[in-house]
Amino acid sequence: MSERRERPSAGVDATRVFAPLALLFVAFVAVPLVALGWRAVESGELAANLTSDLVLDAMRLSAVTSTIALALAILFGTPLAYLLARRDFPGKAVVDLIVDLPIVLPPTVAGVALLVAFGRRGVLGGRLDDLGLDVAFTTAAVVLAQLFVSAPYYIRTVKAGFEGVSPAYEGVAATLGASPLRIFRRVILPLSWPSVLAGAILCWARALSELGATLVFAGNFPGRTQTMPLAIIGVFDAGRPLDVAIALGVILVLAAAVLLVLLRLAARSATRPSF
Amino acid sequence: MLSVDFEKRLAGFHLRPRFAADDELVVLLGPSGSGKSLTLRAIAGLLRPDSGRIELPAGPVFDAALGLDLPPQARNVGYVVQDLALFPHLTVAENIAFGLYAWPREAQRERVAELVELLGLQGLEARLPSAISGGQQQRVALGRALAARPRVLLLDEPFNAVDAPIRNALRREVARLRRQLGLVAVFVTHDLQEAYALADQIAVYDEGAVLQSGPRDAVFRRPASVRVAQLLDARNIVEGRVVGRTEAFIELETPWFRGRARPDADPSAGSGQTLATGATAALSIRPEHVILLRRDRPHANDLDTTLDVELVDELATGNNHRLFLRVVGPGGPTDCVLEADVSAHPYQVMGVASRRDWRVALTLDETVAIPVAGD
Repeated sequence: MSERRERPSAGVDATRVFAPLALLFVAFVAVPLVALGWRAVESGELAANLTSDLVLDAMRLSAVTSTIALALAILFGTPLAYLLARRDFPGKAVVDLIVDLPIVLPPTVAGVALLVAFGRRGVLGGRLDDLGLDVAFTTAAVVLAQLFVSAPYYIRTVKAGFEGVSPAYEGVAATLGASPLRIFRRVILPLSWPSVLAGAILCWARALSELGATLVFAGNFPGRTQTMPLAIIGVFDAGRPLDVAIALGVILVLAAAVLLVLLRLAARSATRPSF
Repeated sequence: MLSVDFEKRLAGFHLRPRFAADDELVVLLGPSGSGKSLTLRAIAGLLRPDSGRIELPAGPVFDAALGLDLPPQARNVGYVVQDLALFPHLTVAENIAFGLYAWPREAQRERVAELVELLGLQGLEARLPSAISGGQQQRVALGRALAARPRVLLLDEPFNAVDAPIRNALRREVARLRRQLGLVAVFVTHDLQEAYALADQIAVYDEGAVLQSGPRDAVFRRPASVRVAQLLDARNIVEGRVVGRTEAFIELETPWFRGRARPDADPSAGSGQTLATGATAALSIRPEHVILLRRDRPHANDLDTTLDVELVDELATGNNHRLFLRVVGPGGPTDCVLEADVSAHPYQVMGVASRRDWRVALTLDETVAIPVAGD
């Protein structure tokens, strides 16, 4: 990172050709982000907008639901990632596919699928309804939608981390008397920690930005299912001033930037030899 | 008592080792991919055999017939794997203490201090494995394996990654520790010198099976088959036919010369084969036992096979010169090339480099007749 790179001679250097194209693209991404920040400040009402009930409710709901979704992804995804990384079992390829599918699926499709499964008239929804559990269009539905689309990021990343830990460690640890759970806790987890961290950050970021599946499966009800991305949609639907959407946008951009930096730090700790 | 006798079928590989050893150091010797490391994994409980039995000094740990299969945690073996697998996130002290977590804290501390002292790792306790040298890493791996006082120590080519001088020191140390602690050690290597230097017993592996096992000298001096002689790098292996036997020697006729072998070389006790007159057999002698002579000087021991040879090539290996010597028969040079080792000093004194025509004596006591299978 810090080592000085030799500047290649003109004959092998394509900088002159590539730099304008690269700069143009960076500008394409940067200009809207800067514009967002500038408009937020320029309006002079950023503070007021940030403390409006709508924004505060959305922030609170986003924080709660994405954190619960992350916790569930860790609880169920860690064992699954371990099995996928370490064991061969019949149907493993299919399980692998099912786990990855939500990544490439349009989120609205995920929402429809969740509705068909857990909605009141859904395949399982009827039984849940009998138990007095009505999932669709509740805060729980927001969590489920986020879990559905974001958990694959956690599972994929952690699985790769587990695969990177040599099975020799486990064998040696077993001959040293360590139980399987102790091996996992004292050896595998510490050695794949950067991947677990990176997976959690990716998962949380994806849950935080989740829109389509939530909209279909949970609806857009302020205070109940209206997370920050949904609140932005709500602003447009209700014909309210754009400034509220801008305020929400600024928060989301900042959150995303912080998560990205954390992700880089996690990746760097993975390449540090001492860890 | 350590006894291994099991079968395991893997994709494209049939592992079926069989050997037994008393309380000593057993070397599993063989080319890479011959099943030595897999045998260690099976002894450690990390590879489950299809059938057979594994017995350690404390008792059987695997017996397919009885349905016995102790988990690795219950086998009480110390296992040093090939790339050591030191836990990179734990310090030297934490690595050594890994197997002691059930001990009281104070006892753990004492045991770690004891091993640190025993292995000369003082001052490195708080370092991570990445911050110590290769030789020190080997010692930490040894310490970790020995911490919980196992009766059996399994070592899988543990010294591959370190330089030769450190390797020699570590070998001596392993031999010393083993005696001192009264351990049975199973040591895997493909390095013949290492095998010779360490072994009380040797098991020679090839393609998943143990071809021969027994005390080191018995195996080196009496290879049971041509393949074993090849794996032990005997170099000079010449096939022929037994043409005579006396109390003092076995006489073999090869296409190029007639030679004598030690009569006790017949390993019939193990293999049930006899070397009767007319049997196909190979004459084998290691290069270090082929004695170079000047043609004009007489040779004292007239039972040794003496052959006229011409020097065709040589290879200097530092202390030694490996000479390639073509046997010259009555009809002139033959296709038979023998290898002889001459130390640096006699090489100089005899002026080997300046002369082409030589004579060799194949020391009778070191020449063995090996039965050739399929006869």
